[in-house]
Amino acid sequence: MHEKQNEIRDFVAEGFQQGWKHLDASSLSSDKTLETDVVIIGSGAGGGSAAEILAEAGLHVIIVEEGPLQTSKDFHMKEDEAYPKLYQESGGRQTKDRGIKIFQGRMVGGGTGINWTTSFRTPATTLKYWAEEMGLKGFSENEMRPWFEWAEKRYKIQKWTVPPNANNSALEKGCGKLGISWGKISRNVTGCLNLGYCGTGCPVNAKQSTLVTTIPGALKAGAMLISKARAEAFVLKKGVITELKCRAMTSRGNAPSGQLITIKARHYVLAAGAIGSPAILLRSGEKSLNPHGLVGTRTFLHPVNVSGAIMPFPVKGEYGAPQTSYSDHYVETRLDNKKPGFKLECPPLQPMLMATALDGHGKIHAEIMKQRPNLQVLIALQRDGFHPESTGGQVYLKSDGTPGLDYQVSRYIWEGIRDAFLAMAEIQFAAGAKMVAPVHRDAGIYGSIKEVKQVIAELPMEILKARLFSAHVMGGCPMGEDSAKSVVNSNGLHHEVGNLSVFDGSVFPTSIAANPMESIFATTAKFATDLAKGMVN
Amino acid sequence: MLTRRKLFKQSAVSAITMLALESCYSSPEIPPAPDGLGHNFEFLTPADRGILSKLTPVILAEGLPTITEQKALAIREIIVGWDIAVSGLPPLTQAEIRKLFSVLDSNFILSLTPRLLTGVPDAWDNTKEIDEFLNNWRFSDPQSLVTGNELRVGYMGMVELTMASWYANPRSWDFCGYAGPPVLW
Ligand SMILES: Cc1cc2nc3c(=O)[nH]c(=O)nc-3n(C[C@H](O)[C@H](O)[C@H](O)COP(=O)(O)OP(=O)(O)OC[C@H]3O[C@@H](n4cnc5c(N)ncnc54)[C@H](O)[C@@H]3O)c2cc1C
Ligand code: SF4
Repeated sequence: MHEKQNEIRDFVAEGFQQGWKHLDASSLSSDKTLETDVVIIGSGAGGGSAAEILAEAGLHVIIVEEGPLQTSKDFHMKEDEAYPKLYQESGGRQTKDRGIKIFQGRMVGGGTGINWTTSFRTPATTLKYWAEEMGLKGFSENEMRPWFEWAEKRYKIQKWTVPPNANNSALEKGCGKLGISWGKISRNVTGCLNLGYCGTGCPVNAKQSTLVTTIPGALKAGAMLISKARAEAFVLKKGVITELKCRAMTSRGNAPSGQLITIKARHYVLAAGAIGSPAILLRSGEKSLNPHGLVGTRTFLHPVNVSGAIMPFPVKGEYGAPQTSYSDHYVETRLDNKKPGFKLECPPLQPMLMATALDGHGKIHAEIMKQRPNLQVLIALQRDGFHPESTGGQVYLKSDGTPGLDYQVSRYIWEGIRDAFLAMAEIQFAAGAKMVAPVHRDAGIYGSIKEVKQVIAELPMEILKARLFSAHVMGGCPMGEDSAKSVVNSNGLHHEVGNLSVFDGSVFPTSIAANPMESIFATTAKFATDLAKGMVN
Repeated sequence: MLTRRKLFKQSAVSAITMLALESCYSSPEIPPAPDGLGHNFEFLTPADRGILSKLTPVILAEGLPTITEQKALAIREIIVGWDIAVSGLPPLTQAEIRKLFSVLDSNFILSLTPRLLTGVPDAWDNTKEIDEFLNNWRFSDPQSLVTGNELRVGYMGMVELTMASWYANPRSWDFCGYAGPPVLW
């Protein structure tokens, strides 16, 4: 089977065979020192976009990535293979109190290698909030339009016109019946076979992750990729960074191997993602990198709660593109922020992901798994960061220097979560559900909206009781004009340290209130184009 | 008789009294480790594997095959899957799971939580008792003044690793109606 897969052309693997520069740091047996114009830490949405733009401008670029280089032939649509290899902490990263499970990519391609391809521009209402409430310059809809267009062209973001799988069509149907607005999602794919395994790496190079677009673009322009190397800390002299210290990882990738890599560059770009980027600044331990103690603050998650429904028909949500339909009804009707808004979407439903997302064990869990083919699942993503009470989390360092996130769900957001349980149950019953189960420790499975409504009204909205998830980590190095209130300026340049930029999801001053990938592509393109101009001249 | 579980429910008893009581209580019987299918275990000790062999059927219940030999094989494979999964986790997470097992097999040198507080079964041969223990942890107060969130988090860890190990295994797919990844070629 896998021999044939090669016939589809694993052009990324071919590129490396033909001489793209790559060092797998786990193979090093001694320390190494390198020099370059720009070093980019991370190869995800931000890192990939920056790498191509800077390399094509004629700069010598080195990309340092903690995760492994894996290409389409390595993606076998198997959950037990993909999570340990391609996700941070094998997919088991959690907030400090263990109340929210965090999914982040850790591979060449970062989150874009394993994400679900949902592509939204930054909502106009979010851009407006940044301008009006946070004093950000250069981020109006008009100023951002060319960058969204760049992202849509470069990553082939297009309307997805294939009929939805039954998981998504239930959302459409339920919303339609209730008279609630819904829409179709654009995706960054070309030649997509509608398999539904975006979360374990696209086996046919249909998904336009940075792994198959901008990283190859940068490599063709002469960049060098170092995989399985964890950027540890910056060394500074007289207020500028003189070198970056990296640790090679073992071939398994979960711990450092002992070898060190030192990279000296003219400019340093942090693109290790929210959590990853703030962690490197914190580890560096230099006051000038974090003069106001803001690094790692205001980290947002779009906290997600989940509702399962048993339909009277097969749903088989493991197959067919995930997340192709959405509803913003509860975002649009709550823009006054009196209550938190939330976006509704439909995740992919492979069995391991599902079995671990449910609370409980024994007979009831087994019964739900038996009915799994008929299971329909909705998720609600809370719009955090737009209210004085919703201040997000704080990145901190654990005893071994690896990062964690302390995120306390505010009372305000908890009410949004309760409302979302009800909204999802209503849509599911309207779509024909026989039974609905809010995914909460103290909830069961219920046969009518009346019954479930009563239960939801009384469920304790408390951490480790409601099951919460996040695949969208944003913030931690917020951008702004005021150097006392932000870490980087509105060009992504560090306020204090002149040869440092942050180009990834950590620059957002609030959550995006939509899936963040396209926002990261666009802001990075804007920042990197500006940086390239400055550096080439 | 004052059983561990009764004591567990009497939350008024202080942790110190319990530690004192515990020290004069006999140590638990750890079930023998099942056959390891030739896997070279990196993390799980024979005692861990013995305990998992008893926990797994209670956690997965009807999700496991009913035919005895198939069930036994499934349990062995799940334990191997656990070992592979834990071995790939960051060192700090591995240390936490080590601590969890030290609570389960009552190794006080490593564990901070006295066993009487945790309600770990007296012996691992009674399914009902294991189920009660799991439910005690599942429904424990995540903000407990004595044990913090440890029991709830420990429960979630045990259950999640077991579910992941089984439902990623093709042998479970018939039961949950999954035809597996599409065959492309
Ligand atoms: C399962 C899943 C599904 C998702 N679905 C969608 C979706 O459908 N649509 C959408 O818009 N968004 C989605 N997202 C979110 C989206 O993928 C991320 O927001 C986005 O990739 C973040 O981009 P980034 O550049 O900030 O960081 P990332 O893409 O996370 O890249 C950061 C990279 O840096 C590496 N790194 C971290 N620390 C270090 C270090 N110290 N040294 C070296 N390298 C380091 C990481 O390994 C990683 O590869 C999803 C995420 C997940 C996990
Ligand atoms: S749904 Fe499309 S993009 Fe996703 S894995 Fe399948 S072919 Fe690739």
